[in-house]
Amino acid sequence: MSELKCIGIDIGSLATKIVLMSNGDMVDWRLNRSTYDFKRVGRDLFDDILTKNNLSRSEVYVMSTGYGRNTIDFADDRITEISAHARGVQFFYPEARSVIDIGGQDSKAILISRKNGNVIDFQMNDKCAAGTGRFLEVMAHALEIPIDEIGSLALESNKPASISSTCTVFAESEVISLFAQGSLKKDIAAGIHKSIAKRVASMAKRIGVEPLLVFTGGVAKNIAVKKYLEKELDFEIFQPEYPQLTGAIGAALIAKDKNAN
Amino acid sequence: MDNIELLESYNSYLQEQKANGKKIIAYLTHDNVPIELFEAAGFVPLPLIFAGKDELMDASHSYLPPSTCSYAQSCIGYFSSTPRTHEFLDLADYILLSNHCVSNICVSEILSNNFNRKRLDFYVSYTRNSNALKYYKLELKHLQKEIEGITKERIPDHRIKEEIIRHNNFKTIVEQVSKLNIPGSEKLDIYQKAILYGPAIQAEIEEIISSYKSNTKNTNSTHPKNVIFTGCSIFINDYLMDLIEDAGGNIVLFDTWIGRNYYSQTFSEEVIASLNDPIDLLTKRFENNVYGDHCVPDSLDNKIVFLENYVNEYHKKYGDKIGVINHIIKFCDHFSLFQSYFKEKLQERGVQVLNLERDYSRSIKGQLSTRIEAFMEMI
Ligand code: SF4
Repeated sequence: MSELKCIGIDIGSLATKIVLMSNGDMVDWRLNRSTYDFKRVGRDLFDDILTKNNLSRSEVYVMSTGYGRNTIDFADDRITEISAHARGVQFFYPEARSVIDIGGQDSKAILISRKNGNVIDFQMNDKCAAGTGRFLEVMAHALEIPIDEIGSLALESNKPASISSTCTVFAESEVISLFAQGSLKKDIAAGIHKSIAKRVASMAKRIGVEPLLVFTGGVAKNIAVKKYLEKELDFEIFQPEYPQLTGAIGAALIAKDKNAN
Repeated sequence: MDNIELLESYNSYLQEQKANGKKIIAYLTHDNVPIELFEAAGFVPLPLIFAGKDELMDASHSYLPPSTCSYAQSCIGYFSSTPRTHEFLDLADYILLSNHCVSNICVSEILSNNFNRKRLDFYVSYTRNSNALKYYKLELKHLQKEIEGITKERIPDHRIKEEIIRHNNFKTIVEQVSKLNIPGSEKLDIYQKAILYGPAIQAEIEEIISSYKSNTKNTNSTHPKNVIFTGCSIFINDYLMDLIEDAGGNIVLFDTWIGRNYYSQTFSEEVIASLNDPIDLLTKRFENNVYGDHCVPDSLDNKIVFLENYVNEYHKKYGDKIGVINHIIKFCDHFSLFQSYFKEKLQERGVQVLNLERDYSRSIKGQLSTRIEAFMEMI
């Protein structure tokens, strides 16, 4: 029997991710910024991954996920990022029981069934940017440091500043006034991470997340958010090797499960 | 999506009523409003069930802060937006102020003070003890007097009773819609229309029901993602129903004011025969309304038990496990304060619940459909 090749494509608000899987193993992947034309970005990544792997369209089954999942007209099927992340984390950690995913525009907490690995409950942030990658971006901008450096800077602090607002707009003014009062950048950065972790952890606690918890999405690469989340939740959390690819991997695995049935 | 045809014909209907010299009373749609009393006096009740668009919310912000429920904001928006989208609202002569919630009071006050609608007050107890019943009765009598003051005519008891019977029969017919195997969106259209016009369209509703009955397609038993919809109602112009059906969902029961809370408030023939005073009958209905969210202390627990039984019965009948979508309009305290308790209690009983909190802005459509689709995938 020929191997079944599945492609998962995750169109997030900030990044588009695509993975090619063959019989449950990851063969290749790509990642690019979504831009305003995420349909074209998705198409380009798809064409590229097919070409590099000498595949034609008819040889793969495509499952789209993420915010722009409905715009991918070459997909065979679609699935929400909630189901995709729940399935994707089990690729890295088969024992996973919970997920916290923090992406560019939203954050979510997912509870996975011990019995069958399916989603049993979830929570998403509402339309406000608090507790998302966007919050970190705005704060990094206010502190005038590159987004990639804000996490490591926060870890240098022993005295996180107190940021009481969870609202991005108010928190930004708080950061600016802390700065003006002479607080150190590293302490403000730590305070920012503590605030985002508090917000996300309280959402996650509402559905009773439990170990083993996997932290996914673009923000999972930020080591300070992980540290403060662990403090808030009071247990260790894990990051997969490719946190941003979890949704795309999950979509590809769901495609495989679907074709196996 | 705009229900243009429905709104146009409703506009003509109201114009016609007005041309015939009738007075129109607008009211925010919640239980316990005695519309029979209005109709007995020759008034036309105008339920404000048109919310669901963000431009209407924006248009209300000179009067209400954005931290008021989106339904309340929309009700003001209909009167304050330019160009006017629902001009028939200008036909309303009166606004009924009732204390269903703070938003209800605020909106009615603003409409009466800033848009020159005369205000009629009708305060209702939240409890159902003997004092609450006495108070409800007093309020009914007071309202009756106020209306009689306007018309300068006594409303005869027999007229009120006739209206009670007419509405009672109508609701019994509307209830049959809940048992039809048709898509939820079609049921919702019928409920919305029924609440707009009331018994004036009884023959039409009967015809719709009999045409559906003769049609053999069975949606409930074949649709894979059947759900119960509870919490805040879906109003005319709201896009939510489309999102649910696009996600593969089908609402089999509307456990909302536009739905079960409306058509289930009926009397048996024995009760009608046993109570001569129509005010006693209306009070009896208020007493029986223990599922409405305007009832403490037990309405939430009553609702939980009712939903659990419904889910189990449904499972027995069709073999499907159905979930519950609890619709919470942002800043509606009635539903948002108890959402965690509601979800927890139903989950303990094995029923899956999606607490869907939202306002009417279009910008959250994508996020809303993700939540709905994920719930459908989960059940
Ligand atoms: S939706 Fe809630 S807050 Fe708004 S008017 Fe209705 S009960 Fe009141």
